[in-house]
Amino acid sequence: MAHDTTQQAIQLAGAMVGGGLALGGGAVGAAIGDGLAGSQTIAGVARQPEAQSRLFTIMFLTVGLVEAMYFINLAFTALFIFSLYKK
Amino acid sequence: MVPVFGFAANITVGDHVTGKVLGLTLNLDTVWATGAALAIVIVLAALLRRQVARGRPGRLQVIFEALVEVVTRQVEGSIGEAGRAIVPLAISLFVFIFICNCFEQVGLGSHFEWLAAPTGDINLTLAMALFVIVLVHVASIRSRGLGGYVRHYLFQPFPPVLLPFNLFINVVEEVAKPITLALRLFGNLLSGTLMLSLIAALGAWKLSGAPVGDVVIVIINPIWKLFDLFIAGIQAFIFALLTVIYFDTAMSSAHGDGRRHERAGAGATTEPLSS
Repeated sequence: MAHDTTQQAIQLAGAMVGGGLALGGGAVGAAIGDGLAGSQTIAGVARQPEAQSRLFTIMFLTVGLVEAMYFINLAFTALFIFSLYKK
Repeated sequence: MVPVFGFAANITVGDHVTGKVLGLTLNLDTVWATGAALAIVIVLAALLRRQVARGRPGRLQVIFEALVEVVTRQVEGSIGEAGRAIVPLAISLFVFIFICNCFEQVGLGSHFEWLAAPTGDINLTLAMALFVIVLVHVASIRSRGLGGYVRHYLFQPFPPVLLPFNLFINVVEEVAKPITLALRLFGNLLSGTLMLSLIAALGAWKLSGAPVGDVVIVIINPIWKLFDLFIAGIQAFIFALLTVIYFDTAMSSAHGDGRRHERAGAGATTEPLSS
């Protein structure tokens, strides 16, 4: 019984830490990626203001793809914490 | 359920109303939400058809014509004439996924949602991604022939002496495509649903009896839902666009680049800045 509780505690702790790492790394990556896409868009619009609508479309496309990495990490964190940890 | 957060002891992820059909377990809430989305798409299509038959273009028809034109331009710019068959698929995917994602807007974050976003269930997104990838492979075999299809996996991108390495890279890429396609959409919608549950859990926050949490919910909920609407549109667009791109890369032949022509973008000029 005590061994069971300890094992549950270790499992929960492992799931939390793993989930936290996944979220942290994903957030940093997504933020840097979005920042790079935005900075190139600003540079492009500064050079050619007429191209603004085209550049915005490509920027939102890139943002959607970059954020996908973060959300995949989020899905896995939810998997770790809510499913792989069995009470 | 594990009490993960102090206030939110009831947040669960992946809890669905299930039912058994022929020995298989179905997520019934996803099924009925998908049915509702299908009903909305069909009603929209019927309304559109009635507008087209009447002769004078209404607002709905103008929007749809713009959508069809954007997708057709994108497809024909990359694939060419053979892409005509893909345009209806891309448009259907976009409209269906966008409507499914919009069901998030009526969610309250409670444990049981009458109308949960069905794309927040990995089963639906995985099914759609597998369907698209199977179609891509079929189109690839039809366009390149069986020999060309196999050669594509063995002899590129590196010279044939590195054949096992080529095979490995290409197989990994082909496996990653449906998985990321499904997980991207699923993860975005899951985060939306989870965020709504978290915001709803703030209701338990009381400062010496005053319901501060409820006020915070009323303020934050619409702000999050606005952002989620934006994400809904972008993810639907990305799913449809990636479908078109996968068809393009699967159907392009070795000399396919000669067919690509410069796409005229809207409102863009290529003149250099005059000093």
